Amino acid sequence: MIKKWLSRYNLHYPRFLVYMLQVSEYNIRDYFNWYHKAKNFSNIEQRKRLVKTPKSFFLLTATWIILLFTLVIDFLILRFIVFPFRYILFFLILLSIPYFLAYIIIIPLFILKIFIQMPIEYLIIKKTRQILKNHKAIKIAIAGSFGKTTMREILKTVLLEGKKTAAPPENYNTSMGISKFVKTLKGDEEILIFEMGEYYSGDIEKLCDLVQPDIGIITGINEAHLQKFKKIERTIKTIYELSDFLGEKPVYINGENELARKNAKPNHIIYSRDGIGDLKIKNQKTGLDGTSFIIIKNDKELEIKSGLLGLHLVGSLAVAADIALNFGLTFEQIKNGVSKIEPFDHRLEPKIDNAGVITLDDSYNGNPDGVKAVIEFLAGLKNCRRFYVTPGLVEMGEQTEKIHKQIGKELAKAGIEKTILIKNSVTPYIKQGLKEAEYKGEVIWFDNALTAFAALPYLTVGGDIILLQNDWPDQYQ
Amino acid sequence: MTGQTNINKKNIAVIFGGRSAEHDVSIITAHIPIIQSLLAAGQFDVWPIYISREGSWYCNKEMNDLAYFKQDDFKTRLVKQKKIRILFDNGLKIIWPGIMSKTIQIDIAFPAMHGTFGEDGSLMGLLRMANVPFVGCDLFASVIAMDKVLTKQIISIEGISVVPYVWFTKNDWEKNKDIWIEKIFKLKWPLFVKPVHLGSSIAISKVKQKTELENAIKVAFHYDDKILVEESVENLIEVTLPIMGNNELRLAAIERPLNKTEFFDFSDKYLSAGGKKSGGVNSYYSEIPADIDKKLAEQVEDLGKRTYRALGCSGIARIDFLIDADTKKIYVNEVNTLPGSLYHHNWKKIGVSGVELVTKLISLAEENFIQRKNITYAFNSDILKKAGGQKNQNN
Repeated sequence: MIKKWLSRYNLHYPRFLVYMLQVSEYNIRDYFNWYHKAKNFSNIEQRKRLVKTPKSFFLLTATWIILLFTLVIDFLILRFIVFPFRYILFFLILLSIPYFLAYIIIIPLFILKIFIQMPIEYLIIKKTRQILKNHKAIKIAIAGSFGKTTMREILKTVLLEGKKTAAPPENYNTSMGISKFVKTLKGDEEILIFEMGEYYSGDIEKLCDLVQPDIGIITGINEAHLQKFKKIERTIKTIYELSDFLGEKPVYINGENELARKNAKPNHIIYSRDGIGDLKIKNQKTGLDGTSFIIIKNDKELEIKSGLLGLHLVGSLAVAADIALNFGLTFEQIKNGVSKIEPFDHRLEPKIDNAGVITLDDSYNGNPDGVKAVIEFLAGLKNCRRFYVTPGLVEMGEQTEKIHKQIGKELAKAGIEKTILIKNSVTPYIKQGLKEAEYKGEVIWFDNALTAFAALPYLTVGGDIILLQNDWPDQYQ
Repeated sequence: MTGQTNINKKNIAVIFGGRSAEHDVSIITAHIPIIQSLLAAGQFDVWPIYISREGSWYCNKEMNDLAYFKQDDFKTRLVKQKKIRILFDNGLKIIWPGIMSKTIQIDIAFPAMHGTFGEDGSLMGLLRMANVPFVGCDLFASVIAMDKVLTKQIISIEGISVVPYVWFTKNDWEKNKDIWIEKIFKLKWPLFVKPVHLGSSIAISKVKQKTELENAIKVAFHYDDKILVEESVENLIEVTLPIMGNNELRLAAIERPLNKTEFFDFSDKYLSAGGKKSGGVNSYYSEIPADIDKKLAEQVEDLGKRTYRALGCSGIARIDFLIDADTKKIYVNEVNTLPGSLYHHNWKKIGVSGVELVTKLISLAEENFIQRKNITYAFNSDILKKAGGQKNQNN
């Protein structure tokens, strides 16, 4: 207890504050959420380290200047002010410095934002808008609580078979991210694909205004980021800002997701693992070696095989096929494109080690629908021991208990042999769900993800399957 | 750490390092897989006891991390560490002396020391004196297995084939070199010259020409005062078989090391594993299971079990074989009572995880300890009273 309290007084404390601002993407609300929960400041940079950028350097310097300035004032009080309780005052100020710093750090951040960042960003975004307005490519925008990056990569790989297609890399899903990508365009692209990130109401509308999409895809809506949106209705409204912008233009909606489907309008195109309109799908199969199915359109059949794992991705592959056909790509080109799709980094990405242990890295998947799909995939794997490793999901707001209990119940139903849980505020609910569903397997607890990862090679043998579900950044506990 | 069984964790002391040529190998074995698996099991409080090259004993939980030993300033850090004391008082206790003195009672010891002053039985003797259960082979098997000549002599009596050999001490050699050279010349060349007590293939030379012989012997005597000169099996299939158990034996897969050089030297065994850092000391250059015919494999397994029993091994050991590919004759080459990294990569392939391996070895240690306890070592008599006094009376 005392050790934890004292951890505020270590020399790295200013650095930790800047680090947490950085991992919170300089979002004040997220930063304070973390700060008010944090108790131990001795080992903050567990997963990553502070990345040296001009912004982080400026903030760190400013924090140290404020810190030193406060110390000087404090010593001046001790030296020059004749006050009967000056020693008490001196120590009170000294003790309160870390608390004071945690809040005062916001001032240099605001100065930076208002006087430098915002004017620069305004100019960059203005230029991006102009470039995109003049660009002749068809623009496809993808919005949703989950599955956006996967959809973007599937679409890009398939469309590249017949069209000059470009899409932003990594998680470039904000105005600035898109601007960075737009700078790299040659101008001769025929199709541009954009992923739209949503954190607060109005985000998608702003991005639509920037990108001016012609086609929209809504991959699904769930409780991801519910902590920020507070109410699921607000999430729905924000994601559907894409549909509002597009009006009568084509919008694909994931019919397998209840919230997306319920809010769809009559002119929307509903897709699922069974197909899209007159594009039918049959013989869907999935396993550790990939997913296969048959597409039927206009009495023509095409057998398709992809390295992606899980039947939940068949719908996304169908969207890519449908859009590609509309753009004039042939069945053969679609088949080639789909066959080139390999599992994406940290999204149900299989890796096999020397001893024959298969790890399915799904650490970027932290949403309830994704988790449900993965457990469904695991349920289909036979004759192996399955290890499900998770710290649970973040930002589920008031749905936290319900969602995690449900995960526990699904794991029990799937008959997962070993559930490895990381101790934190949400995993006890998974345990509760497992118990309620009379789970027969073993539950193993670890203090943190890193010790769990270190232990896994010693808990497993050849033929075992390890599923790494989600990963918590340092700002969550 | 796992939390399913947090209460009443057993104190396990993993003892490693030591005054041995295989000091560094021992550090690896201790961590990969022993300490890592013990930590993963969650049932144990793991106390890493590190014995320095100078023979000082240290224990600090920071040493549970292999990275501690890889630090550039490792030696400086070690000097700052408090040396521990050990106490034999109804078991084994480790003590950190000083004003804030602390004592821990060790429930089970897990020796992870290769070579001299550890694997050779010295440590087992100490642990027997301390009356604490310990993992692996006991004193007698360790002593015999550490001496390649003694091993050959004992298993030969049991009818197990060994490669023809000659052995002598440094004193023998210096006194009458010619006699030994004459005996060596009677062996079928090429030959291997080996120090008798050293593991990890240190100081072993293959001698093809007579001019190389004396130098090879000189090298071997640099490391040991007893050496062995034996015939080389050409057209060799080299295999090894890890075995676990006390009375009931469990066999791992027969493994065939895929040699890069003519024979399997120290750098092949420990330094060429490459790429995979977590694989322990020997994971990358083997064929598991060895691609040999079924009949041969059955013979290897049978010989392995017989050798294990002949030496009185317990807990775990690894038997090395030399197979003449032409004649299909199988020779037992040597026995290793602490296989590097417990050969956990092999056990893992046959379905025994690191955690299962170490927990099984601990339960075997406890089983052995109970058996030992039931043997009466003490015998009460009045001989002491009678000594001296009675004799005088009789006079």
